[in-house]
Amino acid sequence: MNNAQVEIQLIASLVAIACAIPGTFLVLRKMAMISDAISHSILPGIVIGFFITQDLNSPILILLAALTGIITVVLVEYIQKTGLVKEDTAIGLVFPILFSIGVIMIAKNANDVHLDIDAVLLGELAFTPFDRLIWFGTDVGPKSLWLIGGILVLTLVLLFAFFKELKVSTFDEGLSASLGFSPILIHYGLMSVSSVTTVGAFEAVGAILVVALMIAPAASAYLLTTNLKKMLLLAVGFGVFSAISGYWLAHTLDASIAGSITTMLGLVFLLVYLFAPSKGVIAVLYREKQQRTEVSLLTFLLHLKNHDELEERHVNHLREHINWQKVRAKSVLDLALKNNMIVINKNIVSLTEKGNTFTTKAIDYIITNKDAQIEDMKDDFFLFRG
Amino acid sequence: MNFTDYTFLVIAIGTAILGAVCGMLGSFAVLRKQSLLGDAISHAALPGIAIAFLITGAKESNVLLLGALISGLVGTFWIRGIITKTHLKSDTALGLILSLFFGFGMLLLTFIQKQPNANQAGLDKYLFGQAATLLIADVYLMAIVTGLCLFVLLLFWKEFKILLFDADYTKTLGFNTKFIDVLITSFIVLAIVLGLQTVGVVLMSAMLLAPAAAARQWTNSLSTMVILAAVFGAFSGVFGTVISASQNNLSTGPVIVIVAGVFVLVSFVFSPSRGLLFKQIRFMKNRRDLELYKTLSFMHHIAETHEDISHPHSIKLLNNFQGFTRKTLQELEEKNYITISGLNWSLTPEGFEKASNLYNQNFKDE
Repeated sequence: MNNAQVEIQLIASLVAIACAIPGTFLVLRKMAMISDAISHSILPGIVIGFFITQDLNSPILILLAALTGIITVVLVEYIQKTGLVKEDTAIGLVFPILFSIGVIMIAKNANDVHLDIDAVLLGELAFTPFDRLIWFGTDVGPKSLWLIGGILVLTLVLLFAFFKELKVSTFDEGLSASLGFSPILIHYGLMSVSSVTTVGAFEAVGAILVVALMIAPAASAYLLTTNLKKMLLLAVGFGVFSAISGYWLAHTLDASIAGSITTMLGLVFLLVYLFAPSKGVIAVLYREKQQRTEVSLLTFLLHLKNHDELEERHVNHLREHINWQKVRAKSVLDLALKNNMIVINKNIVSLTEKGNTFTTKAIDYIITNKDAQIEDMKDDFFLFRG
Repeated sequence: MNFTDYTFLVIAIGTAILGAVCGMLGSFAVLRKQSLLGDAISHAALPGIAIAFLITGAKESNVLLLGALISGLVGTFWIRGIITKTHLKSDTALGLILSLFFGFGMLLLTFIQKQPNANQAGLDKYLFGQAATLLIADVYLMAIVTGLCLFVLLLFWKEFKILLFDADYTKTLGFNTKFIDVLITSFIVLAIVLGLQTVGVVLMSAMLLAPAAAARQWTNSLSTMVILAAVFGAFSGVFGTVISASQNNLSTGPVIVIVAGVFVLVSFVFSPSRGLLFKQIRFMKNRRDLELYKTLSFMHHIAETHEDISHPHSIKLLNNFQGFTRKTLQELEEKNYITISGLNWSLTPEGFEKASNLYNQNFKDE
């Protein structure tokens, strides 16, 4: 690994961390698509800033672009407030139009601007180490490293200073307002941080991939934990892992670094989506199947309890009567047998003592439907074991 | 630029058809609150284009668009999966699929660009669209798909409409809501994919939304809205193409989007029933009426203490009351509620009647 490679990975990791923090709150506040809107609509701000400063790393440009991001948020909220269209339509209208204005501005001034649309979409992470910051004649590192580092420090300071306020207002806006934290102030604070981060990350990873770095780590983390601190840490971890592994993927394939980082984020999300212990798709499907069997079992036991006639309890009749498929009937029967709920005698099914009390309890629960009663039932009634 | 030129006509007809079909289906997306789904789908189509190229090595738009269709559908159904199977919300699901698919698509595109294959140039036109590359065959394809959309739309009009406004009721009536839902979503995906070549991945969602959002402001009837949206879409397409063709260096996509944006802006401001301008005018009129009635009720208050309700009072009496101006007095006189003679005013019986029933909810006005 040479020096430039280390620097690229360092920048990518810092971008990932700086994005993951506001991203976590955006996902929790159901505002993920706002980050998409901001990342597109800062383009005209960047182009205008570039005309003025001629330097992509200038602080003025960053402020101008971040301002465009906040204007987007305000505009979306204004359109929404007029009631002419719904919120999602408002977002979907504002950012493509602002983005189009930016694209046209770039296209019309293609000769004077060293800014092309590919860079806008993809960023130029590979070139960042070549733009050095010279301070009192000494080379102190790439400009973007300082830029994104500064933004990250700012984000962290704000996060630690206002963690409590952010947490409360994210989960209970009414409570936070009654405690005296202005939800509007926190809302716009978060929007400003997201906007600044998006602009800072823009050069490195491009407009649309900023969105991936904000949402994907947070969404993956959200599937694994319900604790805010753990979620933040996990999101940061996923972000950094994807940034570094994505760099090496790009190195191997000789393709866009930003694209590879996103692909790694996608893989991480896919794995978490499928295999997360309690919220992953496989776990959910398994639980749904389990619950279906348990409900069937309960129906079956109730049927037995309600019928004393022999013909109603014949093995073959049960299948016709409750209208189960063969396989399902067998699995339910096996489950009941295994739990000593029933005995089968000459193809006649009858409840055991245990099965009888269990069914009575279950009916009690279904009729009264009180949570207090589940507590002591949880041990023997596996439907409620979570 | 010659506007009767064959190539230009092909492109103009193509963008007009595209705008129309997008407007038509976009109406459903907007009303179903699926506006951002279009954005997600159009981005999700990118890897499909790249994979189709990698597999076939062909650059025929039909093959690439088929790839885009498949990957757009995969994206759509993954979004549904995320929303139904996990506790992640729809905005997160949309943002995820949008950015992850797009990033993967960009990875593939840059990978393709590095391949020793001279045929790869031009795939990036799918990012922002290049209407100039439309061929007559593409226009035929668009026309066929539009015809198909129209046919399905008319065939299932009743089902689409009822699902749109009351999904639960539709279910109780025994319609297969899942099928209708999948059908309409698939057609939205189809329309988006169709537009990728002209408008591009990044801006396709606006093409879908803008005409529909504009049309929504002018009507409350679904059929009128769909037709209006189609017309707005077609005009945005043609105007956008004309403008972008008359200038150098202009991708068609952004120009069409801005033209459509102008339609939206005009509709937002000038629509008679919902527009901001007329809303403001109505608001101001209401406020003036309110002040007028306030003055009238104040006069009534004074007149009440006299036996003769038409007894003249000095205008000066109204001085400690904020709501009155020369103009409001004139207006009250015009409405025949008061008469003014010199510096005095007096309530007419009509004005007295009106004022005493001003706060009476049971009294029917006019």
